[in-house]
Parts: sequence; C-alpha cells; structure tokens
Amino acid sequence: MAGLAIGRAGPRGRPGLARIALALGGLLLLAALASLLLGAGEVGPARALAVLLGGGDEEARFVVGALRGPRTLIGIVVGVALGVAGALLQAVSRNPLAEPGLLGVSAGAAFAVALALWLGASAATLRIAVGQLGALVGCACVLSVVRLRGLGGDPVRLILAGATFTALLGSLTSLLLLFDQRSADEIRFWVIGSLAGRRLEDLLAVLPSLAVALGLTLWMARPLAALALGERVAAGLGHRPGRVRLVVVLVVALLVGAATAIAGPIAFVGLVVPFAARALAGPDIRRTLWLCMPLGPLMVLGADVTSRLLVAPSELPLGVLTALLGAPVLVAVVRARRLPTL
Amino acid sequence: MFSASHIVRRWTRRRALTLFAAALCLVLSSTAEARTLDTAHGEVEVPESPERIVTLYEGALDAALAAGIVPVGAVTTRGGDGVAGYIEAHLDALSPDARPAIVGVVRELNLEAVLAQRPDLILAAPQLSAEQYALLSRIAPTVVPATRPLAADNWQAEARLYGEALGRAAEVEAAIAELATRSAALAEALAAAGVNGSANLIRWMPQGPMVMSAQLFASGLIEAAGLEIGDAGLVREGGSHSDPLSLENLSRLDGDWLFLATLNAEGQEALDAARTSPAFARLPAVQAERVVPVDGQLWTSANGPLAAQAILDHLEAALLP
Repeated sequence: MAGLAIGRAGPRGRPGLARIALALGGLLLLAALASLLLGAGEVGPARALAVLLGGGDEEARFVVGALRGPRTLIGIVVGVALGVAGALLQAVSRNPLAEPGLLGVSAGAAFAVALALWLGASAATLRIAVGQLGALVGCACVLSVVRLRGLGGDPVRLILAGATFTALLGSLTSLLLLFDQRSADEIRFWVIGSLAGRRLEDLLAVLPSLAVALGLTLWMARPLAALALGERVAAGLGHRPGRVRLVVVLVVALLVGAATAIAGPIAFVGLVVPFAARALAGPDIRRTLWLCMPLGPLMVLGADVTSRLLVAPSELPLGVLTALLGAPVLVAVVRARRLPTL
Repeated sequence: MFSASHIVRRWTRRRALTLFAAALCLVLSSTAEARTLDTAHGEVEVPESPERIVTLYEGALDAALAAGIVPVGAVTTRGGDGVAGYIEAHLDALSPDARPAIVGVVRELNLEAVLAQRPDLILAAPQLSAEQYALLSRIAPTVVPATRPLAADNWQAEARLYGEALGRAAEVEAAIAELATRSAALAEALAAAGVNGSANLIRWMPQGPMVMSAQLFASGLIEAAGLEIGDAGLVREGGSHSDPLSLENLSRLDGDWLFLATLNAEGQEALDAARTSPAFARLPAVQAERVVPVDGQLWTSANGPLAAQAILDHLEAALLP
C-alpha cells in the first residue's frame, strides 16, 4: 500500500519501522514455537521438538498436531484481529482508551450468541455470523450514544458509555443463562475467553470475513491518518470523514466479532497492543497498524502459554491473563498527566 | 433411560417390604414419644407426627419420598426448574395430584415461600449456613445433619436422620438395607457377565473435563456395582470435582469405563459434542465404546435411597450386556 510508510526512518530519530517489525516478527516466531513446545501436559519441550523435526512418539504427535497446533494458529489470528481492531477503534474515536472489550463490542457479541443459543440455535454453525452481528450492534449502540462527533474531546465519556453498555449486556446475558440452564452449560465457558478446545473449523469459517476486514483496513489507513489531522483537513484532502468512520466501525465489528466467535471475549488485547505499538512507532496510524499485526499475536500467545503453565494440570482461562496484563496499562494511560488525544 | 413404570413396579415391591418393616417397628417401639433429635445445631425437638414438611435439600426430599411422605415444599434440582426427573416418577406414584411447591434452589432459599407453606418440620442440607438456620428454625423445627468430610456413604447417615425426624426411621432403614442387597446382586450379575475394570466419572466441557471425586454419592454406587472408580489423583482433598483438566492431560483418564455426566437431558447430544474433540475421541474408554452418558441431575446432584435405586437401574441397563 502506498499509504503505509514502511521502511523509512521515523520521525524524532525512531528506529526504522522495518527494523522494529522484523524484531517483533522474530519474537512472534519464538512465541509460536513456545506455544508448540510448552503445555500443561506431560509432553515436554524435548518430545514436542522431536515432533517438529519430523519424529516423535504418537502421544506427542497428537498433542502438538491436534491440540497445540490449532491453538497456536487460532491465537495468531485472534491476536491480529484484536490488535488491529483496537488500533482502528482508537484512531476513529481519537481516544487512546477505546478498546473493543470496553466499548460493548465483545459484550454485544457474547449477548448475541447467548440469545441465539437461547432461541435454540445450534451453537456451531450460527455462532460466527451471530457474533459478528452482535459486535456490530454493540459497537453502533455505544458510538451513537456518545455521538461519534464529540468523542475527541472527551475520551472518558466514551469509556463510561461503553462500560455502562457492557454491564447492561452482561446482565442481560446472565438473565438468559438463568432462564435456560442448557445454554448456560454451553456458554458459561464460552464467555470466558480461551484458546483451548476451540475448533479449527471455526477458524476457517471466519477467515473470509477477516480477509475482507484486513483488506478494508489497508484501504482505510490513509484516510484515517488524514482524519487524525482534523475533520477539515481530511475533507480538504478529499476524504469523507463520515464514510471513513462508518467503514472503520464495520471493520472493527467484523474483526472483533470473528475473534470473539472463535475464542470468546478476550479483554484488553485491543488496548495494550496499540498502546505498545504507539510507544514503538509514534502516533501515525499507518505505522502502528503494521506493528499491531505481530504485537497482537505476541500478546495472545504469550498469555496463552503462561495460562497453560501456571496451574498445570489445569489451565487458566486466557481472558483472565490478558486482563491481568491489560489492567495496569489501562490505569497507566488514565493516570498519565494528560490524556493524549489521537 | 429407564421407564417410569419400571420404577413404579419396583417401588410397589419396595413399599410392601417397607410397610412390613414399619409394622414390625411399630410393634417393637409403640411407646414413641415427642422425639428429640441430635442435629448439627444441637438437640431439636420435632413434632410427634409432622404433617407439613418442607425439604430444602434433594437428599431430604428423596428420603421423605422413600419413607412414603410427600413434602409440601421442596427445592429444585441443580440446573433445573423443578425437582429431578427421577423424583417426578415417584411423585406420580405417591401423589398424582399434589406436588411440592418449589421454595427456591439449594443455595438460594426463598424464605417467604417456605413460610407460605406453614411447615411444621423443615429438613435442610448439612451445608445450611448458621444465619439461614437461625431464620428457618423460627419458622419450624429445622433438622440439619452434621457436616462430615466428603464420603460416598454420607447420605445414609443423613437419610437416617431425616427418617427419624419424619417418624419413619424404619422405612428409611429398610430402603437402605434393600439398596445394599440390590447393589450386591448387581455386582454379582456384572461380575458373572465379565463386566469389570476401572471407571472415571466426569463432566465434559469443550475446554476439558472436570473429574468428579471418587467420594461422591454416585461414585460410591459405581464402586458398589463392582467397578473401580478413580479420580486420577486430580481432585483436591475434600473437593467434589477437579478444575477443568487441560485437554493435553486427558490421557490421565485411563479408566475402562467413562461415565459422562451432563446437566442436560440430552446426554447423547453431549456425548456427540464431546466426540468432535479429537482429544476425547482417542480416550481408551471412547475407543472401546464404553462411554455411558448419565443424567447429571441424578448422578452429581441428587442423593438418597431412591436416587441410588435409579442410578443402579441405569448402571444395570448400561453395563449388563
């Protein structure tokens, strides 16, 4: 994409984007390797490595091939989706606190799936589309409540609206679960994000919509960067701010809906990843988007591997760990002397 | 699973037995006085012949029905809107018209609903909190069995206490005795049919199973039927089940038989769902087609002599070739 400034040395003497991206890519590779080698089970790194080198015993082949492999792939996809969605949402709302989980997007997806299950849908087939639709509706509700236009000036109001809406949807979801214990069984673990036991078929089902969303993202990067300069400047450069926002919100809903549909709501990835990306590459959305792609999976895989090792032979839900990582970052951003507006 | 008429037939036979035992008991101890019971909250005096009984525990409801008494109020089974399915069958036989009013769930009692039943005796769970007890005992004499460390036969002592409170100790005793005979007979039949080996009782979830303790009520019955039940060393001391086990560790579930409990009525559906997990599909018990989907309401929530009979019915149907 011509609009993405890759490779050039950044402003204020930052190291070149390509170099950072390369380093992050290397780290991601290590994380993926760790995700394949480490687990809560008896198959240790040595046996798993033997599998990767083409040998290994039957048990190890199964654990690496059928359990850790899909899990790693899903982690990478979910990480990319959440990281990019976070960066987009923060850019379009010009608010460094915007996070899909805080803005009712994940809660909308979870509520939609609970509703579908309650109405008797079979979970496997409908989940993806329903989750994405719920994410879209949730996002639209919050954004319309605070009126997109005034967001830049008041980041905290957006977060308050999102938190309120999330709480509302959360209680509605609980209500549905109380009504119907059958779907409660199915959904109780689904509403705690996790990569364990998720199916590769679900991943395949969301790939098309993720591809569309990522394509739109690349197309939107340049208008978004212009929008960061202000509404008038963007209009003067020939972009239509209203349409840009609409498309971006749609993309965010697609990304978060897909990620939530596969892995359940995973909090704070969309907050921490763009935060880290900005710290590395500066505020330009065209640069941070590139970094979010390796950073997202890096965080998800790192948290997932940790979740397997902490309480073996059981596992912690991934959502718990990302929240532990993310909450301090949220506090740090809020406590910063001046809330940076994007 | 098993037909209602099957239960009813069994029930009538047992009732004949218990009536006989009761008659015997009446002859022996015709000097029954206003009874004082030793409960978890000290000595409690209960009425001579209680008439409006509220049971706040599935085991108490079970024991009352086994003694031939239909409570006026009861709590729901875990994860259900009403009493457990196997209880319904007994209610159909005992009192087709009047049903116990639902007065809450075990962990969340509706005290006003209890009060509305104007009970003269309340039978509650061993886990009842002191605060709840203080309130309930102002409504009616409340009988709470002492809490014991988790063990598969705790229910017997509890059922006996409930039986005494109801003035029907002999009936409950007879039901427990009949159960011992029944499980011994089943164990013999299974041994003769060559059914043996080890077993695990689990609740399946997509992220991994929870292994149920070998000290549970149902585990004890599986053991009484001659299978060796284990928890693969995963259940903490005193816990009723493990944390969800990582899918990578499923190979620890190496029992010959796998009892798969769900809170849904659709046990087969749950089994089919579990089968889509490659980690589940390669368990030895699954490969050997030795998975028994069981009703979690009955197997992991209920207890008492009637529940035990229902579980043995299921074991017999599922295991005897």
